[in-house]
Amino acid sequence: MTAVETRARRGLVAPRTFDEVFDVPGSIRSMAVLRIVLAPIVVLHLLPFITDSLDGVTYLDRFNEPWFDVVPAVPGAVQIVVVWIGLGAAVAMGLGWQTRIAAPLTTVCVAANFFLSQTHFRHNRAFLLFLLAAVALSDSGRVLSLDSRRRASADDDRATLWPLWLLRIVASSVYLASGFSKLIDPDWAGGLVLWDRAVRHQQLVVTRVPEPVAGWVVDVVTQRWVHAVTSPIAVAMELFIGVALWFGRTRIVAIWVAVLFHLSIELSASVEVFSLAAIAALAIWATPSTRDRVVVVPDVDAARRIRRLDWLARFDVRVGPVSEIELYDRDAVRHSGREALSMIRSRLPLTFFFAAPLVLLRSRIR
Amino acid sequence: MHEGTGPSGSGATHCGCMEGTQVTRLDATIERPRWRARLVRTFFVAVLVAQALLLVRSYDDPHNFFGFQPFNESSTWQASVVRVTVDGRRIPIDEPWPGDYDWDQLVGWRVVQHPERTKHAYSGLDASLDFFDESLDWVADHTPDDAETLYLEAEVTGFRNTRGPEYRTLRSDDREEAR
Repeated sequence: MTAVETRARRGLVAPRTFDEVFDVPGSIRSMAVLRIVLAPIVVLHLLPFITDSLDGVTYLDRFNEPWFDVVPAVPGAVQIVVVWIGLGAAVAMGLGWQTRIAAPLTTVCVAANFFLSQTHFRHNRAFLLFLLAAVALSDSGRVLSLDSRRRASADDDRATLWPLWLLRIVASSVYLASGFSKLIDPDWAGGLVLWDRAVRHQQLVVTRVPEPVAGWVVDVVTQRWVHAVTSPIAVAMELFIGVALWFGRTRIVAIWVAVLFHLSIELSASVEVFSLAAIAALAIWATPSTRDRVVVVPDVDAARRIRRLDWLARFDVRVGPVSEIELYDRDAVRHSGREALSMIRSRLPLTFFFAAPLVLLRSRIR
Repeated sequence: MHEGTGPSGSGATHCGCMEGTQVTRLDATIERPRWRARLVRTFFVAVLVAQALLLVRSYDDPHNFFGFQPFNESSTWQASVVRVTVDGRRIPIDEPWPGDYDWDQLVGWRVVQHPERTKHAYSGLDASLDFFDESLDWVADHTPDDAETLYLEAEVTGFRNTRGPEYRTLRSDDREEAR
């Protein structure tokens, strides 16, 4: 084939100095993807408060506990205004319309509602707040937004990356904090806590898993010995995710384990929007450098299919005179045919979970 | 807090990094005024320090606020709540209450509703009982049509990770309306 030109933008793979965290730009696309996914999550999060507001019910109409006694109680009408503005701002944030205003406004509204009462606290809501703050601090509207359509350099997705690095540290600290607290608790690490929860909440399995699988699952998860085995594994998974996300060699495995981890939590517990937010937040671990792998396909339809699924812009997709699909990786290695297809699928968000293990397995065997 | 995101000095260089390919690199750095560069770095470090402090502090907080310790316990609790009247009578809250108040409707939050039933301790036994203790005060303050109740009192039975029972007596502040 003829020469293939790639545009390997100088995005940070990892900052070498503290200053590089702030001074070297990179692709902000992963934050843009996170912004888009967070919009419906915020809507879901605010929905109970919105519903209450339609009935004229505010946080003052039920038991509430102020965070700070010195701060006077905020009138209920203010909460109603805040959640409705937050709803509108979240929609605008998702569309990327006036993102520099919409994203901070969404964050402020969610935070304001959160800090009205300690009874609004949930770990998953605190995590959502961190994600929103990072999106608000970043210039995520540069790409995948209505704002970007108005810009002359709409293709340039580079921006300052320090909010991304900050969020990476905070996100990994959440996994590590959760894992560590369980590790030092003998009741947790020994399986007692999970077993007792499984026995008490076994009806959740029945409502979420179809028969006859549900009956079998209940039989298994209510066994004491099962939790003596799985609890240390759950703790190890959290600690592994928190550490392994930082290293290129283990990142793909860590992301895959994290997806599995959050799906299992979603099946076994009521965690509001946490599973969705946590899985969406895994996008921030994509290398902040876009279109630095070249894919050459023989026809326009194949190119369109890949581009449509390539939300994180991993690939520079081109149509060329090739008989089978070709992939030029970052390390200059050329893959073709089924191998290239597997590699591509392992880097697309929707097919990642199924394709990544096969690619990893193949690389290990080799 | 948005930076001047337009990278400066975007000089393109070319290298033949793989056979038959040509890679275009766009080298650039973000330039800010010195005060702003310092501000951003200070903010970054401050957030990390605050996060570390919150994580450590959560071990000393029954609610583990911002400690990210979900599913920390599988504890349970149950309580018998009575209204203690000015003349010393102890009346269970499910019996007629001046003002036709109803505990579950008043509190409106599942964590402290139905205290008579043995229930999962939300966020751990200490967190649940701290909220329950506060809810006694809150209800005492939000029942203005009740002129006979001096305070609310709850006999609580808790099981911490299946161990127990632990007994506690919680009571609200004295009510102005009954004095």
